[in-house]
Amino acid sequence: MSGQAEGGTMRPWSRYGLGCLSVLAALALWQAAGSFRLVPAGLLASPAQVVAALIDISRHGYRGTSLGQDIAATLARALAGFLVGSAVGVPLGLWMGTSRLTTAALDWIVQFLRPLPPLSFLVLLMLWLGTGNLAKVALLALTAFPIVTSATYAAVAAVPQQKIQAAQSLGASRAQIFAHVLLPAALPMISTGLRIALAAAFSTVVASELMAGSDGLGWMIFSASQFLRNDIILLGIILLGILGMGLNGLLLRLDHRLIHWRGRE
Amino acid sequence: MIGLLHRRPWIVTLISIAAVVGAWAGATYGGLISDLLLPTPDELWDGAADLVVNGYKGYSLGAHIGLSLLRVGLGFGLGTILGTLLGLAMGMSEVLDALAAPFIEFLRPLPQLAYLVLLIIWFGIGETPKIVLLFLAALPVSAIAARDGVRNVSGERVRAAQSLGANRAQIFLHVVLPSALGEIFIGARLSIGIVYATLIAAEMIAGASGIGWLILDAGRFLRSDYVIAGVLLIAAMGIALDRGLLLLQRRIVHWAGK
Repeated sequence: MSGQAEGGTMRPWSRYGLGCLSVLAALALWQAAGSFRLVPAGLLASPAQVVAALIDISRHGYRGTSLGQDIAATLARALAGFLVGSAVGVPLGLWMGTSRLTTAALDWIVQFLRPLPPLSFLVLLMLWLGTGNLAKVALLALTAFPIVTSATYAAVAAVPQQKIQAAQSLGASRAQIFAHVLLPAALPMISTGLRIALAAAFSTVVASELMAGSDGLGWMIFSASQFLRNDIILLGIILLGILGMGLNGLLLRLDHRLIHWRGRE
Repeated sequence: MIGLLHRRPWIVTLISIAAVVGAWAGATYGGLISDLLLPTPDELWDGAADLVVNGYKGYSLGAHIGLSLLRVGLGFGLGTILGTLLGLAMGMSEVLDALAAPFIEFLRPLPQLAYLVLLIIWFGIGETPKIVLLFLAALPVSAIAARDGVRNVSGERVRAAQSLGANRAQIFLHVVLPSALGEIFIGARLSIGIVYATLIAAEMIAGASGIGWLILDAGRFLRSDYVIAGVLLIAAMGIALDRGLLLLQRRIVHWAGK
């Protein structure tokens, strides 16, 4: 316990080893539950059946769309919504962070949107924009926007005044202070906000595909459930879990690489 | 003028709200937007009053709200209690952490709705799959928060307690748990937001009651007045849930930041 507070006593490889062992044990248990019919086959497909479904779908696709198309459709929607929401949210948050009047004029909108479950906009967006990709991307942009905006605003507001005053006393212009003081100091928190927003968009895209869609992994899972294709549902869940971890890991790596000064101020 | 606004920024907020409401009223009364898509302010008022008085499709509004809150309460409560216990154990034991982490880290970024259909196949279409869904949404968030809370306890404090002769149980109860509670509550507030968003989605996808279902069903009949009134209600409940936890946090973790 006291050792852990100082970074852990276990060697990394034994940690990974234990992790692999536990995953393998769970897989074996899962396969055994199927092989020995501990669980009715209609309720839980075995790992072998899931792998068979993966091979089948990657060869023949699922109901007219290939697996690659479904993965690409889900990722493209999530990323498009995330990018639109961030492209509006980051500049707006920066502006709000540097101007009290802008904050006064717009913060109430952000504060209203932030606690609202994203799917509650979906009904309105479908009324306004139809059930196609436009409504979905708008939904995901609205999911990401308040998270990114409030994180950016909070990041700018948290920059210590002394830093700004120090730069001013050295004769920096407003633009220089923004580019060399505010932005670098705010970026770590902005990046955290972006990661949370992408995770939220990724969660919401699946829900929106379940509600209305004709491609994407969420649609594949929903459609498979109507045919009681347990193997395909489980395959979809596993793929989404891997994609979710991958997206988060990718942004973390980008963060470490681009914001190398994080935690060293 | 600008100087006055700088001193009293709330005037700008009021002007901004008035502008949005004015644009809404102008566009709907002026006939720019059909009231099937966006109700006029008085249609919204009438629709909201109608929901309050007559309820919606067999349930009073209070029953819809109550059912939604009951689902959130059970799923969030069970998930947070078990997740926190698991996270505390993971924080205290590296072996347990190594064994459980792969599952927690798989579950954490997994879109919650992905496993809803599986839960429906397993548990039927009643309340059980929804509560299990919310339970699974809360579990990894609170487990990670509690684990990190234990890990971030300063080693100095633990050694100080050890040198005063505290045993493991005493250290856990009097040193580790109080310091970790702050992070446990931060996790709980993150988790209630996720659970609430998941609830609304679940009620929309597989429900016949609750506020999420209400707005979906009203949308099918193009009752935009009910939809907007419902969205406002959902927002108010979301804020109330978050504020409720914040109050609880201030009450229980009154030493935070001191």
